[in-house]
Amino acid sequence: MFATLAAAMLVALAPQRQSDTTFAVPAGASLSVNNFGGGITVHGWAENRVKVHGETGRRGRVEVSIVGSTVVIKTGSREGAPSVIDLDITVPQSMALNLSGTYADITVDGVQGAISAETVNGEVDVRGGKGIVTLHSIQGSVTLADASGRIEVNSVNEAIELTNVSGEIKVETTNGEVTLTGIQSSSVDAGTINGDVLYEGTVTDGGSYSFGSHNGDITVSIPERANVTITAATANGDIDSSFPLPMQPGPAGKHRKTFKIGSGSARMELESFQGDIEMRRPQEMRDRMEDRKRKHNEHDNDFDNDNDNDNDHDADSDTSFSFDLSSVSAYATRYAAAYAPKYAAQYAAQYAPRYARQYARLYSKHYKDSFRFNTH
Amino acid sequence: MKNDQWTNRLSEYIDGELDSSERAGLEAHLATCGQCFATLADLREVVARAKSLEDREPTKDLWAGIRAGLTQGSEPRRHAPGVSSRRFTFSVPQLMAASIALVFLSGGGAWLALRSSQSPEQRFGETTPRPRVGQLVTWTGHTDAAIADLQTALTQNEKRLDTATVRIVRENLAIIDRAISDARVALQKDPGNAYLNLHLANTMRRKVELLRRVNDMAAARS
Repeated sequence: MFATLAAAMLVALAPQRQSDTTFAVPAGASLSVNNFGGGITVHGWAENRVKVHGETGRRGRVEVSIVGSTVVIKTGSREGAPSVIDLDITVPQSMALNLSGTYADITVDGVQGAISAETVNGEVDVRGGKGIVTLHSIQGSVTLADASGRIEVNSVNEAIELTNVSGEIKVETTNGEVTLTGIQSSSVDAGTINGDVLYEGTVTDGGSYSFGSHNGDITVSIPERANVTITAATANGDIDSSFPLPMQPGPAGKHRKTFKIGSGSARMELESFQGDIEMRRPQEMRDRMEDRKRKHNEHDNDFDNDNDNDNDHDADSDTSFSFDLSSVSAYATRYAAAYAPKYAAQYAAQYAPRYARQYARLYSKHYKDSFRFNTH
Repeated sequence: MKNDQWTNRLSEYIDGELDSSERAGLEAHLATCGQCFATLADLREVVARAKSLEDREPTKDLWAGIRAGLTQGSEPRRHAPGVSSRRFTFSVPQLMAASIALVFLSGGGAWLALRSSQSPEQRFGETTPRPRVGQLVTWTGHTDAAIADLQTALTQNEKRLDTATVRIVRENLAIIDRAISDARVALQKDPGNAYLNLHLANTMRRKVELLRRVNDMAAARS
């Protein structure tokens, strides 16, 4: 049946601005998606069918084909520069995914198969995944939750966050924080150059854990009954623990120390060149993270940035508004900072396709050689 | 020097011949006894130097005489001929060499030679592991050349990437370069610092990884 489909199926979702198609797939089929710009959203469901919904605009097109046992979805443009297309795809929960884009945000929810997701400019946000899960972005944060297996997550210029993930874990970014919470693993390797690294999870007997940063702090939780040998090293920071640690003999200096807890069977390396190294108890770590999350939310809701946790989106009507209203420039700056991201996204989505097309036509003749398509 | 119950056990400790309770006891003692700690360091240096010596046949067989001098029933273990009982630990330069050699192995030459379409299973974990104590790889000294290879490849490949991405990549390469520079300056002041050596090697590995990733990405868009 699938072979028949493979030969016959080629669905082009156009020229409508949005289209849907749904078709059955056999067990073991995989999905491959390539979308230059826009979004790739994949949901899992309990049916053996794939549903593809595309917001294509007028010029965009979505091609769905089946090659072997793989459902292949590609996007394109019927004329000119690549189109911005949002894909919303629903797949069987166990389907393996291979998703890629250039200016694409990738979101996956409820899929329990292997997942490979790679974008250049965009965020990757995955909930679920089993087996080999590899997530990459150059300019965009990467978050992964509720996954298990062999996990490899990379970003370059943004943060990485893993929550409730188990298995063999490798995480690396260059310019961003790494936050790992609720981890169950005997093998974790996480590092960044610019940014803090935070680990809250298991420390399994015989396990291997390595956390490194150049310009950030390393904070790890050490469970009460862990058996681990910890080597902590920093060139310009401090090493601190909120509980007593039996130091191991050796040529330890101020900046490199080895501690053995219990039998010491697991190995943990903590290294930061400029930052501090902190070892905390799990509950202490969770409290700290809750506190950080609460402060973060307060900051997000404190649009007038006056630290009053006013939770208002209309700062100028707040009687506790504290900054100097006589300073028009300061007011403008704060207001812009609070609202710009929200309205920029909204207006960009609304007007970009129209004006991009209009201006592209206008200027392409003059700037043909230097024109770059650059939208998100 | 005052001997205590542990002084004569230091050699066994180095050779890993103490049982776990003895080892724990000695380690606890070392934490409080500066003399034993210093002696242990001396012994380790002797062991390290001994490893660098070439094996030579003795001018005559001394074993008969030695055996005669031993007390009955306590004959030491002998190893089969040709089997060395030396245990190897690695010096800081060796560790650095091991680390950087691994960087090279995953670096420019490897990228150029091995890049091909690979399955996720093959690609998973292809990143070079973080350098760790105990890895033994001969230092080749080609890391800079590997990075140069990859940078040359990037210069050619980056035409396939948009200008914003190229800018981000270059900014992040600059971040890594600053980290490498920090580590090198610190190493000049403290050349024997094992942590700094490993940190430098690891940071260089990060640069290779980033270059390789971006090259892969650009090549995939050709």
